Order: sequence, then C-alpha cells, then structure tokens
Amino acid sequence: MEKIIEDKASKIRGKWEEYARKGNWTVKGYEILKALSGSGRIEDSVEKEFMVVYRPHGVLYRHSYGLVSKFFRGLIDGKLYGTKCPRCETVYCPPRAHCWNPSCKVAETEWVELPLTGKVHTFSIMLFSADAFLDKLPFVLAYVQIDGAHTALPMQLETSPTEVWIGQKVEIKFRENRTGSLMDIYAIPIPGQTPPPYSCLHKDPRNIEDLRQNLNKTYEFLEKRFGIKREDIEKRWKK
Amino acid sequence: MSRVAIVGGGLFRPDRIRYENAEEGVAMAYRMLLEDTPELDPRDIEFVQASYFSDHLNQQLCMAWIVQDYIGQHRKGGYRVEAGGSTPLDAIINAYFLIKSGYFDLILIVGWEWMSEVDTATTNEFIAAASDTDWDFTVGGYYNGYYAALETRHMQLYGETIEDLGKIAVRCRNNAVHNPFSQWRKEHGTSYVTLDDYFKDRIVAWPYRRWDCALISEGACCLLMASEKVAKKYSDTPMWIKGIGLGTDSMRPGDRLVDWPYHGVYKADEKIYPENFEKPITPYPEMANFGFAREAAKKAYVQANINDPVKELDLAELFAPYTGVELCLYEDLMFCPRGEGKTIIREGIVERDGELPCQLSGGLLAFAHPVGATSLLQTLFLYWELTGAIPKKFGNKTLQVSNAEKALITGHGGTGCQGGVIIFSR
Repeated sequence: MEKIIEDKASKIRGKWEEYARKGNWTVKGYEILKALSGSGRIEDSVEKEFMVVYRPHGVLYRHSYGLVSKFFRGLIDGKLYGTKCPRCETVYCPPRAHCWNPSCKVAETEWVELPLTGKVHTFSIMLFSADAFLDKLPFVLAYVQIDGAHTALPMQLETSPTEVWIGQKVEIKFRENRTGSLMDIYAIPIPGQTPPPYSCLHKDPRNIEDLRQNLNKTYEFLEKRFGIKREDIEKRWKK
Repeated sequence: MSRVAIVGGGLFRPDRIRYENAEEGVAMAYRMLLEDTPELDPRDIEFVQASYFSDHLNQQLCMAWIVQDYIGQHRKGGYRVEAGGSTPLDAIINAYFLIKSGYFDLILIVGWEWMSEVDTATTNEFIAAASDTDWDFTVGGYYNGYYAALETRHMQLYGETIEDLGKIAVRCRNNAVHNPFSQWRKEHGTSYVTLDDYFKDRIVAWPYRRWDCALISEGACCLLMASEKVAKKYSDTPMWIKGIGLGTDSMRPGDRLVDWPYHGVYKADEKIYPENFEKPITPYPEMANFGFAREAAKKAYVQANINDPVKELDLAELFAPYTGVELCLYEDLMFCPRGEGKTIIREGIVERDGELPCQLSGGLLAFAHPVGATSLLQTLFLYWELTGAIPKKFGNKTLQVSNAEKALITGHGGTGCQGGVIIFSR
C-alpha cells in the first residue's frame, strides 16, 4: 500500500475534482448554421445547414513522476539534480533513471546534484503562445545545458527578448511558489555579457528591428487583454 | 516478391472548419475514389487501414470503427495506426508491409483529422501533448516554440537567413493558389504573395512568423493500395512504391546532444560543424537536423536505386510543418551536404521550374494539415502528378510536372521523433 509522506494536494483536490466533473460531456447549448459542404474543389462547394452542440469535458489527472521523482522533489527544495550513468558517465538533465547508451544496456543511473548555472544551447522567442502562457508573454524558451550535464533542459529565460543568444551563460533561479513542475525554475542571464558577433539574431540589425516592431504588437495585445503594462514586463527583466 | 502500388485515391477538401462529420468526410473522399476507379467493387477491398492522430480533439475513442462501418467496409479486418504527424505515412508503410507479405492484395487507407472542435489554443495544447508532458510541454513553447528553437540552432550553425525561410513560405503559398483544394486558396484567393508580404506577417515564435507555420485543418483522404497481381485491374498507370525507409529520434529534442544511438554513425556530417562552436557528444543530428529522415532516406534510396536525389527525382512532397524544417530536410534527405540547405533555396532548385520542385501542392503551410490525412493528401497529389492527372483534377496545368516519373514523400511526427520516406515511381 502507498503511504503519503507529504500532502500538498488534498486541499485543492476537491475544487479541481468538482471542476473536472462539471463538464461531464452533456450538451450545454447549440447553434444552427450554414456552411460550405462538399468534397470537391472550392468553386464546386454548396451551402448546407448544420447543427453544432457545445459539450464540455474536464479532467483531473493523478500522475506519478516515477523514478525521477527526486528531480521534482529537488525543485521544491531549491535543488537541481541530474543523473549520471556509472558506466559511460553521461550526465542527464532532464534525468533518466536508466542510461540510453546502447553500450550500457539500460544501466541504472545515479543521482548527482548540479550547479545552478548553464548555457543556452538554443532558443526561440515567444511572442504568442497557448492560453496558459499568454500572460507570461513575451518570453524566451531556452534549451539550457546545465554545467556538468550533457543534455539540454527546456525552461523560460527571463530577459529582454532582444538579448538572448546561443552560448549565453545563465543562472538558474527558483520561483517563490513552487508546485513541483519544470515551471518552478527559470533562467536569467549572468550579468555583464554582450551579444557575440556570431549571434544569428544580432548579426543582421534588421532582425532586431523586425523583432522590436513585433514585440510592440505583443505589448499592445497584453495591455488590451490583461491590462498588463509594458513597463511592468520590462521591470521583470531588470530584477 | 510482389510489388506494391497506389492505384487510386480521393479527398474531402480540407478547410479550417468543416461541418460534415469525420465519417461523412471520409465517405465523400471514398466516393471520389470510387468515381475515379470504376473497376473497384467495394467488396474487393480486403482490409481497411485507418489513419488519424488525436482522440481527444473529438471526444471519441475508436473513431476508426465509426468510419469503417459508415462506409460499409466492416466485417473484414481493419485497424488504426497512430504516430502523431507520422500517422498517415505510417499507414501507407503499414499497408505496404501487409501487401508485400502476401497476406492481402487490396487495401483501402482512410485518413482524416477534425481539429477545430476545440478552440485554437486548446488544439495547440492537445497537439503539444504529443511532446513530453513532464518536460518540454510544461514550459509553454509548444510545437511553435520547439521547432523555432531547432531552427535557431540550425541557423546559428549553418547561416541561413530569415529571408531564406521567407522564400519557402512564399513559394508554398504561390504554388497553393493553383491547387483548387488548398486551404490557402480558399482563405486568400488566387493572387501571388511576395517576400515583402511575408515580412509584414506577425512573428509568433522567433524566428518563425505565422506564415512559417503549418495550417490547422479538417479534412480527409482515401488511398487504394494494391499488389502487383491486381494493380492493373484498377489503374492503367499504377504508382509503384520503389523504396521505403523508417527512422526515429529522441522524444525530447534537448536529449539529442548526447544521442548515443546516432554516435559516430554519420561521421561526415559530424565533421561539418563550425570550428568556433563546442561540439556536443553527438554533433549529428543534435538539435539542428533530422536524424530520422537521414536513416529513412538512406534505406529508401538503396531500395529505389537512387544515387543523386536532386537529379533522379522529379518532385518531392516533404512533411514540413515549419519553413526551417523544409530547409533542414534538404540536407537530411541528401539533396545537398549538411549546412547547404540555404543554397538549395538560393539557387531555386525547389521552385516550380527548378530541378526538384518541392511542395508543389502547397504542403502543410498552404495546402492543408489535417494530421491523419496530410501525407495521404500529398501522396494523392503525387499520384495525380505521376499519372498526368493534375490538369484534369485542378482545372489548370500550372502544377503539372511534365513526364514526372519518380517522386519522394517524407512524413514525421513530434520534433522528428518518428518518421519515414517513400519513393514512388510511375
């Protein structure tokens, strides 16, 4: 039988279970509409009448992090862990409980604590995202190679979107309210660095200008949708 | 052993939202196949291969059973394959194996995706659930973000520019305006767009703008596949499968820095790496290229006896949900050495009048991307190309490659986690 050691779920469970049940797949409303019908070319399509229903569905998952639970427990405790293969000495972060090197025949790995520093292996600059992340826009999605690890860990890099490059050195920070997910950590650039001449974003000044113009559109959207002010977003990066 | 051919197909025109149900869409695509293949008695079909990606987009499990009985194809065997974006390509490859083994002579593939029953943000979330939900999914990039990060890495290592990506986005659209089944033509009309238009489009995940990204679609497609024994009964001009290859890579792209199964396998590519950059343990494919495609192409080319794909192939339909993917695939499919994808663009090799036209249909950016049907639609397009049927089907001959004999298709799912390559020949 399982025995719960630390319980940070039961307080919220009732609320989310209720939310999950609320949908229950029953029809809540409908529309009658006219739309193009037919399999052929656009010009051969004809209008027909359709009925559309609205049917919600909420779910609450109880999910185990398995043998790499220690990594997520570590996030709660403010520590960053990886795993190391005792045979080929590959250091994995994200951790793997078993080594994937075919020579190691799925050897069990060992936990190692990693430093809170790393470098950007690659990145994208998100000016639009899914609902859950809209109010965090704009953000940099960075694949960070933690110092001492051989793989790259995805995380949000909190910096001005025009100041990120491959090879940038970063520090890993922990958010104040942690839930045991990868969003508990983020990266910030180690101060005093400037974009190197090779940076694919910076080497053509038109890229930066292009990005700035588009950022303005994102700021307008954020103000309109959430009332978030540009100055407050920029403050986030100056902390 | 028996050869295997595509001997017919039909489609249900993909669009952002279709109000027919999936089974009705498949039925209408199937009817187009029956009309075009008068020799086909529905009772001759021995097995139905279903191809669709997502269960949670439609609140329906086992949709394949609904579809198979709706078109009166139940009683006989049938099952679904599913592998994200690779689903429809895998359906073709699975049907190929089933026929090649001698077990069946005639298989109907039915593929579809209905992607607009939830709002766009939820669609993106559901699709992103095909990434590792404990890791990559959690930090909110979703596929736009993952693929954009892959392209940033490639751009940094090999020096293509935003303009190179823009040329891909523009070419796909300007091909699609001649395709009367394309979503771009439905939304945009028949006028051409330019690089200036591209630069006016919104950036969603640098280096990608909306125009760099695949469409969201609802649509369906059917293909009829036959053994050599029965192929000629259904088509005077079967499109033969000359070679197939499969490949995979890690689920999480960040793990590809130490991609042990790839270690030392592609030594020449490992060497093509900028000197001022620290090499990861596995420099190829790492986060810049698509290892699955190289694995798959290598095998498919040997079977099809292709030595110089650009010279020997007449056209190609790539699975390129983002412009940068297309550019990287040129390298992994060995159209050029690693790092030279930009040269393929700049020399116009993949343009309509180039040596190897790519995405003449408009591809995932401009034709459509109803996941479970996408590679089937592209295959049907190739079938029409290789049988000279484009002018009749499209009502214009702009996209018809004259005397096309050999074509390539590639498909994949995830961030290149699983995929394959097929070589077709007249």
